[in-house]
This record gives sequence, C-alpha cells and structure tokens, in this order.
Amino acid sequence: MTLAPVILVVDDDPAIRESMARELRVSGYTVVTASDGLEGVRAFETHAPDLVLTDLSMPRSDGFELISAIRPTTQTPIVVLSVRGNDADKIRALDLGADDFVTKPFSVPELLARIRAQLRRIGGTAVKALQFEELTIDLERRRVTQGGRDVHLTPTEYSLLELLAVNAGKPVFTDHIIARVWRDAAGTTADTVRVHMSALRKKIEPDPSSPRYIVTEPWVGYRFIAEPVS
Amino acid sequence: MAAPRPSSTITPWLIALGGTAAVSIAGYWMRLNPNTVGFAFLIVVLLSSLRGGLLAGTVASIVATLCYNFFFFDPLHTFSIAEPANWVALAAFLVTSVIVSRLVIAARIQADDAERRRNELETLYGLSVDLFTATNRVGALGEAAGRALTLLGAREGGLVLFEGSPYRQNVVWWNGEKPDEIEDLIAGIGRHKEPLEFPSPLGRDVYLPLLIGGKTAGTLVARGTDASMHALVSASGLVGLAVEREKFIEENAHMQAIRESDTLKTSLLRAVSHDLTTPLTTIRVLTEALRRKADTEEELRPTVAGINEETQRLKRRIDNLLSMARLEAGKARPRREPTPPADIFRAVRENLPLVFESRPVNLRVEDDCPDANVDPSLALEILVNLIENAHRVSPGGAPLELTARTHPDDPLQVRIEVLDRGPGLPAGVADANGNLLAGATSDVAQRGLGLEIARSLAAANGGSIGITPRQGGGTVARVDLPAAPLPAMAAEPESR
Repeated sequence: MTLAPVILVVDDDPAIRESMARELRVSGYTVVTASDGLEGVRAFETHAPDLVLTDLSMPRSDGFELISAIRPTTQTPIVVLSVRGNDADKIRALDLGADDFVTKPFSVPELLARIRAQLRRIGGTAVKALQFEELTIDLERRRVTQGGRDVHLTPTEYSLLELLAVNAGKPVFTDHIIARVWRDAAGTTADTVRVHMSALRKKIEPDPSSPRYIVTEPWVGYRFIAEPVS
Repeated sequence: MAAPRPSSTITPWLIALGGTAAVSIAGYWMRLNPNTVGFAFLIVVLLSSLRGGLLAGTVASIVATLCYNFFFFDPLHTFSIAEPANWVALAAFLVTSVIVSRLVIAARIQADDAERRRNELETLYGLSVDLFTATNRVGALGEAAGRALTLLGAREGGLVLFEGSPYRQNVVWWNGEKPDEIEDLIAGIGRHKEPLEFPSPLGRDVYLPLLIGGKTAGTLVARGTDASMHALVSASGLVGLAVEREKFIEENAHMQAIRESDTLKTSLLRAVSHDLTTPLTTIRVLTEALRRKADTEEELRPTVAGINEETQRLKRRIDNLLSMARLEAGKARPRREPTPPADIFRAVRENLPLVFESRPVNLRVEDDCPDANVDPSLALEILVNLIENAHRVSPGGAPLELTARTHPDDPLQVRIEVLDRGPGLPAGVADANGNLLAGATSDVAQRGLGLEIARSLAAANGGSIGITPRQGGGTVARVDLPAAPLPAMAAEPESR
C-alpha cells in the first residue's frame, strides 16, 4: 500500500480552505492547511507536502512570497488559485516557479485533474513512450501514431509535440518553447511557434474544430491537455 | 524720448552769477594774470552748464565775458573790446557752455532712460514673481496683471481672457471704465494677434494680445500708459505664459482627479471581484459534496444540477459585468493575441457543460479559417452569451451550430456564427442587414442582457455582432472579429 500524497492548501478564506480540504481528503489525499504565505512556509517545512495549492492574494504574506520562499529549494509542484481578470498575477506566479493555475471559481473535477497531472509529472520515471488516448509518442524512435495511423511530422513539429507531451497538463511558456525547440535561434518569434504549432495540430488532431491534445493557453503559451493512459 | 530733468533749483544761477562775481573780485583784488582769470571763468561756465544746462551756461558765458572785458582787458573799466583775444575768450566761453550743456543733456537722457528701463525691469520681475509663484488660487492671475499694469503707469485697463472665441470674453480683472467699444477693440486684437497702440483722452492706450501656441488666449489692456512698448509686450508675454501655466495646472488637477478616480475604481473592482468570486468558489466546491450524494439519491440529482447550472450562470454574469466594468473604467484594455477559433470553441464547451450535455452542438472550423486576433477571455464571453441565448430560445433537443470561417467579404476578419432553430428574430432587435438596433436589446427580455454584453465586448475587441433570420427558421448570430493570419514561412521536410 502506498502512502496518500500530501497536499498543502494555503488560502486565507476559511470556507474555501476547509471545503477544498474536505474534497481533497474524499479524493484520497492527505491535506495540510495554512491561512497565509508565512504559515504556508512553516507547514511546508514541517510536512514536506507532495504538492502545494495556494491562493495568490492573502493578507500579511501572499502566494508570491510563498512561491519565492519554497521554489529555490524544491521541485514540489505548486498550483495557484488565480482570479479571473488578474492575468498579470497568474503570469507572475508562473514566472516565479508555479507549475499551473486554476481560475476561481473552479470546478472540483478540473482542480483534481490539474493535481493528478502535476503529481504524475513528478512521479514519472524514464519512459520510452508516452501513451494518450489514441495517441502514442515513441520517444526512442521519434515516431507518432494517432488513431492507429502513423503521423508524419517534421523534426520541429516532433520536438514541439514531445516537449508539450512530456509536460502534459502543465502550461508551457512560448519563450520556453523557443528556448528548447529552437535553442533561442535568432529571429524565432511567437509567430514562428504559431506556424509550426498550427501545422502540428492539423496533423495530430482528428477533429481540428474540437482539439483533444493541444490548446493555446491565453497570454502564456500552450498546454497539452490529454491525460496519459496508464 | 524722455525730456531732460528741469533745473529746479537756484544753484546753477548762483554758480553762474556768484561764481563770475567771485572770480572777478578775486582776480581784481589779487591782480591776477588775465590768463589765470580766464581759466577760472571757464571753470565757472563749465560748472554752470553742468548744473543748469544750456541757459545757465550761456548766461554764465556772457556775464563772464563782460566781467573779463570790464576788469581785466585794456581799456579797463569799459566794455569796449580792443583786442581780438577778447573775442576769442568770449567764443571759448560760449562754445564750452554749449558743448558741455549738450553732453550733460545727453547723459541725463541716457540716465533717465536707464532708470526707466530699470523700473520697468523691476516691474516685469515683480510681475513674473507674482504670476509664477502665487497663481495657484482663483483670481491671483488678474490681481498680478493689475499690479503690473499700475506699475507700468497704466491709469486704466485690465486683463480679458477669451473662452473659445474672441467674442466670448471673460474679464479677469479691470480698473476704470469699460465702454462697449473696448470689447470690439479687444475682439479685434483676438482676431489679428497684433498689438495696437493709439492716442486717447487718457494719453496713450495699448492693447496687447496674449499669444499661446499661435492662438490668442486674451488681451491685456493698458490705458493712459507711458511705459515703453517693449515693456508692455514683455508683460503681455509673461501674462500669456502664466495663463498657459494656469491651464496646465487645471488640466493636471483634472488628470490627477481622473487618476484618483481610476485608482478607486480599480480597487473597488478588485474588492468586488474578490468578494463575489470567493463565496462562489466555496459554493462550487461544496456542491461537489452534494453531487456525490446525488449519485446515490435519485431525488437529489435535479436539485444539484439546478444549483450547478445557476451557479455557473451567476459566475458568467459576474464575469460579464466585471469585464464590462473593467473596460469602462479603463482598468483593462483588451489584451489581444492570435487565438485559434477551435480553442475558443473548446473553452465554450468547458464553460457550458450543461448546454453541451442537453443538446447537440455542432462545431465547425473551416480549414482556411485564420486565427482571430482577440482577447481570448472576452471572445469566450461573447460566444458564451450568444450560445446561452440560442440555447434558451431553442426547443429541447434541437441542435445548435457553431462555425468559424474567413469573413466572406474581408479576408482580414474571422466570422463566427451561432445558428439556432428557435422562434426566429423578435421584431425590433435588428435591421434587415442584421445590425443591432440601438436600444433594442434591452427591450427584448429573452435575449436582452446577453446580446448587449456580447455587442459591447465585440466592439472592445475591434469587432461587431449582428443577428439575422436563419433560412428554415431560427436565427444566426454572427460575430466578426479581426483576423491574425499565419505568417508565411518556408516549409520544413517531414522526417518520415
């Protein structure tokens, strides 16, 4: 029997904090709570959680301070709860080292899916292939099949797909994509990424009107949305 | 030109007459050499001219010549001139007195001029200090201009500013009578932008335009002044600058008030956003516990579904209203970026799960459809509103369609359409071309708020919406948004 992952929930509103803690416990997680950034840092040091779920706007010490305090010493996933309209806060949190965000008021299934994606990512071992529903990426042979058919990708398209699929569930900054896929080649812009991403999506999406694998993440970059098949 | 100062004392005459007498007596008693006495007379003439001007100098010259002749030249004690040297002496005395007088007069004029300039400069300096250090209160400008006009010798006059046109005059400060014809003169200065100077019963009247950025902002009027034109033009220049400065101060205060109001709006929006979102988040999380319970209790399911639906609707309305308030408060500008319509459709599906579960919604993005250059969250709100409307008016089970394609007439726009099979377009919502009629949306209860919000948000995104009847029944709501076509790039060969 494996131990339940520990999730640290940091929010100044007791109603949200307690209701979230209850739902997470029902879903099988062990939950520790804190009411601001300072308490969050102390709880992090005491309980060494597997994931941190934090609000951004809190009195005394906010979510940014919490992220800044714990990120330099740990790779523990941090998911922030942002408010719609405060996109600058969301991007700042991602820049500081947060791994993902959900926008209030979120649905519980959405939150649980984000948490699963983050926990899967850190628990992952070296794999030879990534399996998603109707999509397989053979990392050794650099081969992609979708719905049983081979998909012919250019080297750039493959690198894009691999980068996003390895980070499935996590938003990936356009700048990060340029750095990793194009190695910061001069003249590479967000438009360059758009052109290749558009071509990649046409090749792997069975219905381009209803994307199943890759979506744009407004003002951030892109996100691979399919959940891995275990 | 200023006149030389008149000799108002008797000193020059004392010098002229007394000095001549003293030299004559001293020279006669002491039996001095005529040459020595001559030089002494010359000094007396010099001093007389210096103190008394040409008249005192001439009198001194004549008296000195007579005394010189009478007491010191042969034949003594007569006024006859036997020797030409006497004529030379007389001429020397006269020439000296004339030259010295002229020199003295010129020097005096220069000194008077310098003194007047100094006074005018002092006045202008005082005016500039008045205008630029203490104008932060109503009326200070007029008082300063009034003080300056008085110091520049104006007996009457004042400061008049124009309010948009030279014929709309605001008298900031005025001293003395102001007959009607003065208003016409002031308006004339406003039109011609040139100073006007003419003689008047008060002496000399000067009308000066206050020029700001090539336009006349008003007129400075100095009546009965003897100040130089240079000083008056400088004064009007200073007043013009001060008027401009007051304008800037007023505009700055206005901007400051706007900034403070924006800050207040921003913090209010933040607070409202937080206070509305927080309980809604709790309700959604708590509803999840109810939903689990409803899995086992049949009766509870419609209740939980209802709570979910209404909570989501409330969330969308709050989002709508906050977006509109942010846009109107200037807090947020749409942050446009290239967005594939398919991604907006996917977000719509996530936001309206109950609509998508309750009826078929066919999504179609045409192959050549470019990305839309929009604020993704606002584009989502536009479509959510239109689809909610379509869902509400459509019969149960009737499919909705959501399509995206290049605008048929403008390749630089994306056209997104929501097609329903509802009862069709209510009268008074749109014209024959589908353009929404002004004020119509609020009267149409079924579509009202959603349509109005969609229209405002589309406009903020640089787009527009329209609504037309659909062939075969129902309506087509269309949204035209700016496109962000993909740039052309060299194709890369596929690896396999």
